[in-house]
Amino acid sequence: MNAFQLYFRLIQISLLSRMQYRANFIVGLLGLIVWNLVNLGLIGILITQFTRLKDWTLWELVFLYCLWILGYSLYGLFFSHTTQMEDYLIEGTFDQFLLRPASPLIQVLGREFQYVEIADALFALTGISLAYTRLGLHWDGWRWGFFVIAVVAGAVIVLALNLLIACTAFWTGRSRGAFIVVRQFHGLVQWYPIDIFGNAFRAIVTGLLPVAFINYYPALMLLNKLDYTSSGWWLGYLSPVVAVLMVGLTASVWHFAIRRYSSSGG
Amino acid sequence: MRVFWAFARQSFQTTVIYRFDFWLRVSTILLLMYSIRWVWVALYAQRPSAFGVSLEQMVTYGVLSMAVLNLFYSFGVQYYISEQVRSGAIDLDLLKPLDFHIHMLARSAGEMLFRLFIMIIPAILCGYLFFGLQPPVTSLAGLLFAVTLLIGYLISFHLGFLLGTLSLVTLEVHSIDWAFDALMRLFSGQLVPLWLFPGVLGTLAALLPFGSLLATPLSIYTGVLRGDAILPAIALQLFWLAALALISRWLWGRVQAGIVSQGG
Repeated sequence: MNAFQLYFRLIQISLLSRMQYRANFIVGLLGLIVWNLVNLGLIGILITQFTRLKDWTLWELVFLYCLWILGYSLYGLFFSHTTQMEDYLIEGTFDQFLLRPASPLIQVLGREFQYVEIADALFALTGISLAYTRLGLHWDGWRWGFFVIAVVAGAVIVLALNLLIACTAFWTGRSRGAFIVVRQFHGLVQWYPIDIFGNAFRAIVTGLLPVAFINYYPALMLLNKLDYTSSGWWLGYLSPVVAVLMVGLTASVWHFAIRRYSSSGG
Repeated sequence: MRVFWAFARQSFQTTVIYRFDFWLRVSTILLLMYSIRWVWVALYAQRPSAFGVSLEQMVTYGVLSMAVLNLFYSFGVQYYISEQVRSGAIDLDLLKPLDFHIHMLARSAGEMLFRLFIMIIPAILCGYLFFGLQPPVTSLAGLLFAVTLLIGYLISFHLGFLLGTLSLVTLEVHSIDWAFDALMRLFSGQLVPLWLFPGVLGTLAALLPFGSLLATPLSIYTGVLRGDAILPAIALQLFWLAALALISRWLWGRVQAGIVSQGG
């Protein structure tokens, strides 16, 4: 079996076990929709006091938010359980992956398929199409292409970041705290345009933890907000490159981490 | 009381083992305080009078909210219950010679106390030093802030306990918890103060228990709620505490009889 076949076989098995919790599926869909509505509500309440946040109008902010959620849902569908790596390590489940004659990465990734994330995807697509009409956007073929690439790049950046953090558990035994930090980062960087924050913060989310490339920079390009006279305009196109770099970095850290792994038993 | 200290000690020991994790949590709090301040500064720059209070008050509200937030997310009784059910270890908890509700409260309070001293109070101090947090308007307001925050913590514990009990019915807690978490984030006034909520949302916020968690203590601290308005707010808090404690105990009693333990 090649890697892909193995992956889909594993997904199939996990879906079968998930079928036990059918009521949970409905609750899960509703839960995610409520979660998204609340997030947009929080932005909306602030905006009703004004017409805009710096240069961003309400529908531009909706677009910004939904671009993140769309990328995130793509990540979440296939990879959301990377956040559970520490449980695998602490409980010793990870030993199973190493003992079986297949790539541990494929086995970890194939462990679950988070189908409730479909709710996120639908929510985001609705939001983006509403914003598209309200803002009177007319993308040409090239922009549509970039939109698709940006969403995939966003998903890849989220995945790479989460895997990197999961890898810290190989050293520290725990990664939950790190995930909390990243989630809080998302709560700020992905909801608000980062130009409202200070320069140090912008440098961090661009260079160190490149979460601004998940939605902010591509949104600048897609919403025609790029200022071509400024020195950093090319950042709007950079997210696919960042995604590729992140994958390379993550893959090498992962291989290094695995070699270091010693079981906790259990 | 001995039980509470035992659990506080336990959570201290876990934290000592996972030091890196602890520092990350602390840096999250600092990061949140930093950024909420920027959000308000950016918003106030446009129309200083739009929010009914001064920028200093609003920054104080936001920074303090981020500093004390960990009080409500410290233990996660709903996750504990659902995890115990999933692994089957709930049997052992039920066999313990200790009322389950009290047991959970002890665990949660132990962790909360620990967090209070090691994270929250230092975070508040950092707030004063670096993030423009102002002292309470009067010393009485400061005292009432502490009292109402404690009541708020107890309400949040009971909401979590109720959620955990419900998870015994649905056998999964994560997705309900997402929705719950979102509602709490919105209606507790954690990010955006409740007095800014328009129309229906404002009414809804007044009717739900979440405002008693955070909005009440924060509004007292910043002086938005003062004088005669304080007493009714505290009465409402106590009402929610009593109601939620009774409902969650009653529901637990009913559900417990039919527990399906999955592992074992």
